[in-house]
Amino acid sequence: MSYIGSVSTVDDQRLEFLQGTLEVLILRSLQAAPNHAYGISQFLEQQSESEFLVDNGSLYPALQRLLQREWITAQWKLSPNGRRAKYYRLTPLGRKQLVAARSKWLRFVEAMGRVLAPEGRHA
Amino acid sequence: MREWWAKIRQILKRTRGLDDDLGEEMRSHLEFLIEENIARGMAPDEARAAARRHFGNQMTTGERAREAWQFPRLETVLQDLRYGLRGIRKSPSFALVVMLTLALGIGANIAIFSVVHAVLLRPLPYPAGERLVWLGESTGDASGISVTWINFHNWRGENHTFEDMAGFEMADLTLTGRGEAVLTHAMVVTSGFLRLTGARPLMGRLFGEADDRPGASPTVVVTSEFWSKTLGGDPQAVGATLALNGKAYQVIGVLAPGPRFLSRAVDFYLPLGISAGNTANRSQHGSMRVLGLLKPGVTLANARVDLDAIMKHLALADPGPENDHRAFAEYLSVVRTGDVRQTLWMLLGAVGLVLILACANVASLLLARSTARAREIAIRTAIGAGRRRLARQLLTENLVLAAIGGGLGLLLAGLCLRTLVVSGPSSIPRLAEASVDVPVLLFAAVVTVIVALLAGLAPVFTAGRVDLTLALKEGSAASGAGRRGHFFRNTLVTAEIAITLVLSFASGLLIRSLIMAQTQYPGFDSDHLLALELQLPPSSYDSDDAARQFYGRLMEGLRGEPGVKAVGAVNCPPSAGDCGDWWYSILEKPAPDRGSVPLSLFNTADSAYFRAMHMRLVAGREFTDADRPGGPRVVVINEEITRKWWPAPQLALGHRIKIGGPYREGPVYEIVGVVANVSQMGLDTEPMPEIYYPFSQRAERAMVVMVRTAGDPATLIPAIRRRVAAADRNLPIQSLRPFEKWLEAPLAQRRFSTMLLGVFAALAMILAAVGIYGVLNYWVSVRQREIAVRLALGAQRSAILHWAGSHAMRLAAVGIAMGAFGAWGASQLLATLVFGVSAQIPGMMLAAAAVVMAIAALAASVPLWRATRVDAVQHLHDA
Repeated sequence: MSYIGSVSTVDDQRLEFLQGTLEVLILRSLQAAPNHAYGISQFLEQQSESEFLVDNGSLYPALQRLLQREWITAQWKLSPNGRRAKYYRLTPLGRKQLVAARSKWLRFVEAMGRVLAPEGRHA
Repeated sequence: MREWWAKIRQILKRTRGLDDDLGEEMRSHLEFLIEENIARGMAPDEARAAARRHFGNQMTTGERAREAWQFPRLETVLQDLRYGLRGIRKSPSFALVVMLTLALGIGANIAIFSVVHAVLLRPLPYPAGERLVWLGESTGDASGISVTWINFHNWRGENHTFEDMAGFEMADLTLTGRGEAVLTHAMVVTSGFLRLTGARPLMGRLFGEADDRPGASPTVVVTSEFWSKTLGGDPQAVGATLALNGKAYQVIGVLAPGPRFLSRAVDFYLPLGISAGNTANRSQHGSMRVLGLLKPGVTLANARVDLDAIMKHLALADPGPENDHRAFAEYLSVVRTGDVRQTLWMLLGAVGLVLILACANVASLLLARSTARAREIAIRTAIGAGRRRLARQLLTENLVLAAIGGGLGLLLAGLCLRTLVVSGPSSIPRLAEASVDVPVLLFAAVVTVIVALLAGLAPVFTAGRVDLTLALKEGSAASGAGRRGHFFRNTLVTAEIAITLVLSFASGLLIRSLIMAQTQYPGFDSDHLLALELQLPPSSYDSDDAARQFYGRLMEGLRGEPGVKAVGAVNCPPSAGDCGDWWYSILEKPAPDRGSVPLSLFNTADSAYFRAMHMRLVAGREFTDADRPGGPRVVVINEEITRKWWPAPQLALGHRIKIGGPYREGPVYEIVGVVANVSQMGLDTEPMPEIYYPFSQRAERAMVVMVRTAGDPATLIPAIRRRVAAADRNLPIQSLRPFEKWLEAPLAQRRFSTMLLGVFAALAMILAAVGIYGVLNYWVSVRQREIAVRLALGAQRSAILHWAGSHAMRLAAVGIAMGAFGAWGASQLLATLVFGVSAQIPGMMLAAAAVVMAIAALAASVPLWRATRVDAVQHLHDA
């Protein structure tokens, strides 16, 4: 049941996803508006300033898992440039999960930062 | 859980494949990438290749996405299974106790369910057996009485709810001309009957419509047993004639072997229309009942309404004394099983309670074990096992245990079932067919899974709540020992006590009823009594005088036999059941309403019968030789009738009884005597009204001669056989046995159910004792340090005993209170199975409570003793 979003083989300098991260990021990318798989990976790349490169082999299974949990729903629609694409949308349940996960991750990041901070700053 | 539903839904609506959808989505994704590359200035071919590279492997991406929708892989299931088996090997005694407990509970359930399935649930062995309906007439208190020929014809012709209908009745005929005269059993039927019961001819033909006509020539269709036994399997049997009651019947067919109709063995079938077809009177009753085949989809209620409408119409078109008669309809499957139905459901309920007890014990064991395993689980969680994964593994372990327990249970059930079938009373129809077949195996599987889930819930619930840091620290209180665990355990114990109380109470009631029935004074002395059952063939005894002379001669001879003290004869001896009932009224009393004309059993006895039986004469006189055929018509009634009409029995003397009641033709008899009630319908039944005709005025060919002996009745059997042969060499003896055997036979079913319920109650007691012991023992173990501290602070051992004892008492008290409610509910259900005692007697409740209390005390004594033996010094040192 556990999964790890893997780094892209293209660039070893990029960050590895921690367990459960990708789902939260997908939820976040859908917060403003529904989007398709391509749009989601674009969003994550841009927002992370290209630190995250989303591997489709991780993205697609993650989307299926979110669908199963009914945190998102999917619908085929026309994109602004007239192309048919499958759009994902947050459900109210997904929105709630995002809020919860967001505060959890922020605390985690803060704690990691404190622990890993240079010793001098701590003194 | 939601994910599983989503997966199941996905499987169900696989029509528009997930694959197509995914493929299309990935194609559109690629298009976006290509577009972007072109926008950056690449050539179209280059843009496409770059996009492909960038997207990655479409095949594996699609595969992994699809995998998300699949159920856990077989490998993980196998891994869980291996873990489960390893767990069993690691703690074999624990596993053994769990498996044996489950085997007992599940096995008992499978055995009883097999019986319920064979007797009650399996469809009758006829074509469309589930739609076969038993039809009779009903009026006032009497339901299911015989149908008159005219009514049958009207029902058959005018109904809208039946596919087919057939009349049938039983008859006993003497077969002569083939060696010794033998009494044979016939079903006299209309032609549809053999069709409805699915009979097929082995040779010759079955009855047709032509055989139903009054003028048809007498024909007979014989069963395969009769054909092979009595006709010697003669291949030329069709066309032969049988002399039945002195009349020649031509054999037209031999039936293939098939299931019996009701439990009665039949030698052959005769056409009913020949004898009954020329009656014109709509209220002339014989003993015919009707078998109907409902149209598919028609309910019993529809059919009743349909037939009642015909009866109402007939009451207007052809008015008579029976205008108020209506139709009685019941499924044949229900009629066949009768009162067994309730008994079996009761037993299934009881054995279900035993299973709940077994589950409770196993749950409490698993909980204790999961407490011990809290560390293991904490480590697994720490190295990354998800809660769900852990729960699944624990459940798999439980399923493995339960499956082995269920398998053992199945073996146990097979053994028990064989014993049940062999020792069960013959009055339970189709009991012999009970076997562990496919539906029973399904039942076993379902029960096993449910048991695994139920018993496994406790540790699974607590497993998710393991506090990592606490559990990893050596010696800390672990999950199951927490508040939640204790509450759960206490609930289990109180439930066990409650269930045991219900079962002990119920089995106590039944045991008491059985004792009451067995020790009940039947109204006569049943010891030193032989019953000789005879049936004179009408061919050789064609008049009442001939029958009277024969019995007179025979009894005279018997009285001369040394060792014989008295001889009397009766048509229907005690416990032989219902040999016919009919309406009556008392001429001197106001006539009852049409709907409430009373019914009475009718019987025929000779002048010596009451004295030979040692039946108490309450008032008036017995029959005498002066009650002659032409003289004033007299009857003797039983005490039960006098209760209804007179304040004292002797006041009945001289009153006149009208047979048939005030609203129909019938003879009038004077009451000359009142005798005590006897158990006519069996020892475990309440007395019923009964009227005796004098044999001298109303001769019967079928009589049971009662021989009162000085010594062991069995020793006289050869002498009596000789006397019968001397009186008529050709007369078959129907039965000749000590009367006590006869009397006890109807109790077989009660004994059977009482014994089973007793076994279940005993099982429940053992399981409950083990459960109470386990939980209290655990309670003491967890508190050893607390006890040690208390002792160190100066508490007396008696104070410890009091403290631990009051904990046990509280559990027992709550359990008994709950059980009392349950027992009260059970007593409502048991009311009709109880005899001689009130189902609500407080004494039985108190006795059951005392027994349960004693068991609880016994089970608690060892843990309590342990509590007082705690070595304070050692414990405080260890800590």
